[in-house]
Amino acid sequence: MSNRYPWLTIDPAGPFNLGPRTFPGRVWTASGCFGYGLLGDDISAPGRADPFAGIGTVVTKTITAAPRTGNPPPRVWATEFGALNSIGLENMGVERFCDEVVPRLVERGIPFVASIAGTRPEEFGTLTRRLVVAAAAAPCWHGVELNLSCPNVARGGVDFGRDPLTVRACVEAARGETGDRVVLAKLTPNVASIAELARAAGEGGAHGLTAVNTLVGMDIDLRTGRPVLPRRRGGYSGGAILPVALAKVDEIVQETGLPVVGVGGVRTADDAAKFFAVGASAVQVGTAQMDDPFAAADVARALAAQ
Amino acid sequence: MTPSFTTASRLLGRVVANEALSSSMIRLDLDLEAPTGFLPGQFCMVNLEGGSRMPLSRPLSILRTEGSRLSLLYKVVGHGTRLLSEAPVGAAVRVLSPLGRSFPERDDDRPRLLLAGGVGLPPLWSWFERYGRKGDLACFGGRDRDDVPWGLIPPGWRVSLDSAEGGAGPAGMFVGNVVALAESLLPDDAPAHHVLACGPVPLLRAAAVMAAQRGWNCEVSVEERMGCGYGVCRGCVVPRPAAAGWWTACQDGPILAAADVDWERFGLPAAEALAAYSDGPSCSAPAPEASA
Ligand SMILES: Cc1cc2nc3c(=O)[nH]c(=O)nc-3n(C[C@H](O)[C@H](O)[C@H](O)COP(=O)(O)OP(=O)(O)OC[C@H]3O[C@@H](n4cnc5c(N)ncnc54)[C@H](O)[C@@H]3O)c2cc1C
Ligand SMILES: Cc1cc2nc3c(=O)[nH]c(=O)nc-3n(C[C@H](O)[C@H](O)[C@H](O)COP(=O)(O)O)c2cc1C
Ligand code: FES
Repeated sequence: MSNRYPWLTIDPAGPFNLGPRTFPGRVWTASGCFGYGLLGDDISAPGRADPFAGIGTVVTKTITAAPRTGNPPPRVWATEFGALNSIGLENMGVERFCDEVVPRLVERGIPFVASIAGTRPEEFGTLTRRLVVAAAAAPCWHGVELNLSCPNVARGGVDFGRDPLTVRACVEAARGETGDRVVLAKLTPNVASIAELARAAGEGGAHGLTAVNTLVGMDIDLRTGRPVLPRRRGGYSGGAILPVALAKVDEIVQETGLPVVGVGGVRTADDAAKFFAVGASAVQVGTAQMDDPFAAADVARALAAQ
Repeated sequence: MTPSFTTASRLLGRVVANEALSSSMIRLDLDLEAPTGFLPGQFCMVNLEGGSRMPLSRPLSILRTEGSRLSLLYKVVGHGTRLLSEAPVGAAVRVLSPLGRSFPERDDDRPRLLLAGGVGLPPLWSWFERYGRKGDLACFGGRDRDDVPWGLIPPGWRVSLDSAEGGAGPAGMFVGNVVALAESLLPDDAPAHHVLACGPVPLLRAAAVMAAQRGWNCEVSVEERMGCGYGVCRGCVVPRPAAAGWWTACQDGPILAAADVDWERFGLPAAEALAAYSDGPSCSAPAPEASA
């Protein structure tokens, strides 16, 4: 199958099954790093079709029930090794997403998973129901990814993603609405035991886990001695976090055996192969996709060529 | 009116020159794998390939293009620009270019007032090269004589210096900021100019004030930290007046009408931003701690 990775037991370039769906490819774009999947189609590169060629699925920017205006700038900051961000979940809200984005994704036939976030577990159910109304007839809509790295209003602001019972409740709420679509729970790495949370998601009915979201990080402007981001700490991502993400995926696979979509620091086919080596079913490309609109397409292309 | 968006390409290439033009300014010439073009005011995202690759590309304005040659002008301010400055001839690069909205082309006979500060020169240099005419007033502001890339400044441009001390170059320069220089050259009854400005935030703000006082149109090139440069990350937001949400510097800008920018909040340091936005386009719910 693969000369460069003879030990691979999967076809890294072909379609694959996850829960009730067959996905066209194993290289996806990560939520928040490729917008709503509607930009970039007019960007060209010599010898390439377009940035969407070969991408297995676009995970769209996380949407919430109401639109959010997000955090004040500066919102992104590059360190020597990785990137920091504090976008603040700016998004257009589920109604506009369903009215304006979904029809265009469907028209273009772009495979997508919608990332959603709520302020209480039931909201993951209502958001999913709204998406089902908008997209159930579209074969390119594969499901939802639950962004659990947000404060839970009902439980005093504790992050959803840090409490197994809450994780389970969120997944159950979404699973109750999805029918034949996939439910992925996206986990934060900022916990002592990610396997425990993965297990809770599995008990709630998740078809798989997406691991990981960003690490909490910060940087200091040495001219002022102040944090570079207005909210002090932000999300750390990019090549620097690959070893952390890999270890988290490995922990989940080893301890639960559940399907995992690996994300964190993937820039090349070799990076993706490392995630496949520990048992990931697919990978997502985030920061690298921001850096280069052809990043995910190039990873997919390189995997197919190996 | 505004010619916008020629389509962008992701192009690989090599460094062909990376040479200091002044005490702070470096000209970077790249040879790309395919021909490229741009409109004055557009920018590109630049990254090194291989071991020096940065997690995110850096936005730099385009100075000029010729065939597959792309020229940029930059100043070392931090890690990324330092890495760029260390790239030898032959180093592999990747660019996404051209991006963003350009300065309007000349669409009437009004004279233009061009205000460029430091590395804000490229967009106005290229605008002038393409559309400049007799009657336009072009001003460049530098820190001191050594800071000015004299070989690049077109004949007829006026130069202001923050400091008259030391350095080589013509004597008897205007000391003060570039907007003060323009004010000193334009009497109160000067004909209406159309102002185009690019440079540090204080320069842009002063240009906007000057234009508003005289009732002149003004376009500025805004700068904000960028993640992607092509609209997908929502990193580069610029506040609109009356808390009406955001522009993105990379897609709606970098060229914006001065009247469309909330000057009270634009360009604030991180430490002041939260307080400044407490009533404005800010979080409607508790902020997610890490990602997003
Ligand atoms: C549309 C656009 C066009 C641009 N065009 C040019 C150009 O033609 N030439 C050019 O030199 N720069 C240009 N810039 C600015 C350039 O992108 C930044 O200077 C660069 O990204 C800084 O990266 P760094 O890693 O070196 O600095 P960082 O390590 O990210 O920052 C280092 C320090 O420098 C400060 N800093 C960052 N940017 C600036 C700045 N512009 N001026 C002063 N201090 C700064 C930071 O606050 C920080 O304290 C442009 C920016 C935008 C958005
Ligand atoms: C600018 C930016 C915005 C992001 N927005 C979201 C988001 O809306 N929802 C989400 O689940 N993850 C978001 N993430 C996290 C990424 O999807 C990904 O999990 C993380 O960046 C690690 O992968 P990477 O190293 O490939 O970037 C964002 C990351 C970045 C850099
Ligand atoms: S830099 Fe990403 S949206 Fe402008």
